[in-house]
Amino acid sequence: MEKNFIIAGFGGQGVLLAGEVLATAFMLAGKKVTWYPSYGAEMRGGTVNCEVVASDEEVSAVNKLNTDFIVALNQASFDRFLKKIKKGGVMIANSSLVKELKSRADIDYLFSPITKLAEELGNIKMANILALGVLAKASKMVSLDNLIEALDRVLPPHRKNLLPLNIKALKIGYEYDLLPAGA
Amino acid sequence: MIAEAPSSKKILTKGNYAIAQAAINAGCECYFGYPITPQSEIGEFMSGKMQELGRAYVSAESELAAMNMVIGACSTGAKAMTSSSSCAVSLMQEALSYATSDELPVVLISVMRGGPGLGNIYPSQGDYFQATKGGGNGDYRLIVLAPSTVQECVDLTYKAFYLAHKYKNPTVLLADGLLGQMMEPVEFKEYPYPEIDNSSWALTGAKGRDGRVIRSYAPLAENQCVFLEKLFAKYKAIEENETEWEEIGTEDADVILVSFGSTSRNVKTAMKLCREKGIKAGFFRPITLFPFPSKRLSELASKTKKMISVEVNMGQMINDVRLAVNGKIPVELINKPVGAPPAPEEIVTRIEELI
Amino acid sequence: MTTQVFKIPESLRENVKYSFCPGCDHGVAVRLVAEVLDEMELKEKSILVASIGCSVTLYDFLNVDSIEAPHGRALAEATGVKRARPDKFVFTYQGDGDFASIGLAESLHAALRGENVSAICINNTTYGMTGGQLGPTTLLGQVTTTSPTGRNLEYYGYPVKIAEHVALCDGTAFSARVSLDSVANIRKAKQAIKKAFEVQRQGLGFGFVEILSTCPTNWKMSPSKAHERVRNEMMKTYVSGVYKDVTSGEQAHIMRPSFV
Repeated sequence: MEKNFIIAGFGGQGVLLAGEVLATAFMLAGKKVTWYPSYGAEMRGGTVNCEVVASDEEVSAVNKLNTDFIVALNQASFDRFLKKIKKGGVMIANSSLVKELKSRADIDYLFSPITKLAEELGNIKMANILALGVLAKASKMVSLDNLIEALDRVLPPHRKNLLPLNIKALKIGYEYDLLPAGA
Repeated sequence: MIAEAPSSKKILTKGNYAIAQAAINAGCECYFGYPITPQSEIGEFMSGKMQELGRAYVSAESELAAMNMVIGACSTGAKAMTSSSSCAVSLMQEALSYATSDELPVVLISVMRGGPGLGNIYPSQGDYFQATKGGGNGDYRLIVLAPSTVQECVDLTYKAFYLAHKYKNPTVLLADGLLGQMMEPVEFKEYPYPEIDNSSWALTGAKGRDGRVIRSYAPLAENQCVFLEKLFAKYKAIEENETEWEEIGTEDADVILVSFGSTSRNVKTAMKLCREKGIKAGFFRPITLFPFPSKRLSELASKTKKMISVEVNMGQMINDVRLAVNGKIPVELINKPVGAPPAPEEIVTRIEELI
Repeated sequence: MTTQVFKIPESLRENVKYSFCPGCDHGVAVRLVAEVLDEMELKEKSILVASIGCSVTLYDFLNVDSIEAPHGRALAEATGVKRARPDKFVFTYQGDGDFASIGLAESLHAALRGENVSAICINNTTYGMTGGQLGPTTLLGQVTTTSPTGRNLEYYGYPVKIAEHVALCDGTAFSARVSLDSVANIRKAKQAIKKAFEVQRQGLGFGFVEILSTCPTNWKMSPSKAHERVRNEMMKTYVSGVYKDVTSGEQAHIMRPSFV
């Protein structure tokens, strides 16, 4: 079973790091996994994104046509990647910055006020990791334990003091009461 | 519980870092380089690690100088390398020509980006010709290894050092911007190859013997003839001993997809999609671009109806595929000029158009 | 009892066919290098990086381990050799075109980094091997095959004063210009070569000697006239002397690992 994920947002929202944590968590869960940053004109424009492909078998193809899960931390990412979601796929959007419009009936939308929740936690920079918590719950593909271990591995030594806060952010995202569209 | 067992030895790392760490594990004593996107992480990693280990690191004034520093270090028998990309590898062509003539074990990591000229920083396979045909003067070949995964970035970096020293010939690891920036779990096993004795030729100071000369200048035509015959006998041996490739589903294939490097990943998936659709497709990936697996492709040309070379450039490797096939069957091209490889579904659509 | 007052230096190869033109100062310069290698007992730990130009066949004369660099890249290769093997004595022998035209970046950057190597540069104000074209050191007014009416500023700009430029580099430990036009100056040249080698031995950084030299063939002069030209014309633009010597205590200096 192979699933792919795109995490996208403004430069500075930590989407590449969030992707790396997700990929590390998959690795710790014994999956085959590939992470790569976006290549395209948008690299210097509004959004940054990375794609993570996780599979029980060898991950071959990259730069895929369609995506199972999108995490859109800003409006530009939401608009850009909406059409890329597979039928039956999930759009996880940061409703603090994204308008809650549901133009596609063949996918699930999960709107969570990710930035607002991070602010309430006391550090807006935790939005990326908080979003991973939301994704973990929605996808049922990766456990909180693997994500916590991944955070511990990925955070550089000079950021290790932020590990407890990151774990808190992860849990807030995981425990946020989601209301899937159409439910 | 955190799953440790299946992945405890693995770490998630970028292709560029994987290459750099592998070079260190392979015993690389000297790194000389000049930054260029998308491979600058290699030099950044080396600058810290080499100093930590007491090995040599120089921020060279240019790629020209960097490659010549590698030559200098290699002349003493040291394991030495540089890394660069496309337009900057162009600056090294003169030195690579000298290094083949000097028969020195130079290792070059070439992480391709878009060209010609300054081009752009996106992934590309536009330097297939640069690596395999070369831009330097005279008759020479470089050994060229093409990884397709981050793990292969490690394994083939090890192999690059080994082959360079075994054959005293410059060896290129030809990666691309996608592989350089991609992260995958890798395992750094120990350097698996034997150390090569270089005491018969390395410059060590003429103690108790006459001075050795490493040179390419051959004032007499007959000397140059003898030298080139010897050089090409070596290339023949490399071809016989070291040609490497991967093939899947070729035995019953009506069409064989030929692809190298990161692009081959999507081609492999495209081949499987073709099979699901009832198209009898096979997959063939040259791992050594020189020596090119011409002999095997020639054999396969007698069994299949068509070959398609899939490349992210305007069609370069297709020339070698056509030479190998030698007119037995048609060879078509599916390409994208530059960027990440085309999606498997796009490749399948184009295969359907071609067959 | 007899005393030997003259012998062929051990650092020179035996029975070598002499390939320089009559009256060319390369022969004297190579001999001085060989004598200094002998006297400092460096032959067995030396690695020479040869260059392109008339100096290309230096390895045919000096009996030391050698590698031939592409045109202009001698000091990049020397950097590689020395960084790989800091315990060896590493030196280059280059012409002015090699050092100061095509290789200026490599030369000055080696000096700027303070690479612990030594470099000898032969300045004969022309590209000798290719038939006497204008080079970076060609004097104003000098006629060459590519400056048929003489070097003028409008078309060719100024000649380069190599020893002065090298002396400006912080990593330079010793920089001097010498000539070979008289016995006294030949003695001074040998002392300068020795000093340029000695600073490497002490790990003080880049050692450099620019040697003003004749090219009777391309200058179309007899050897004695050629030496008169060195004295009367070249030495006016290229003034002999020591331009930097950190052993004289004028400045603190980086230290590099080196041999004893």
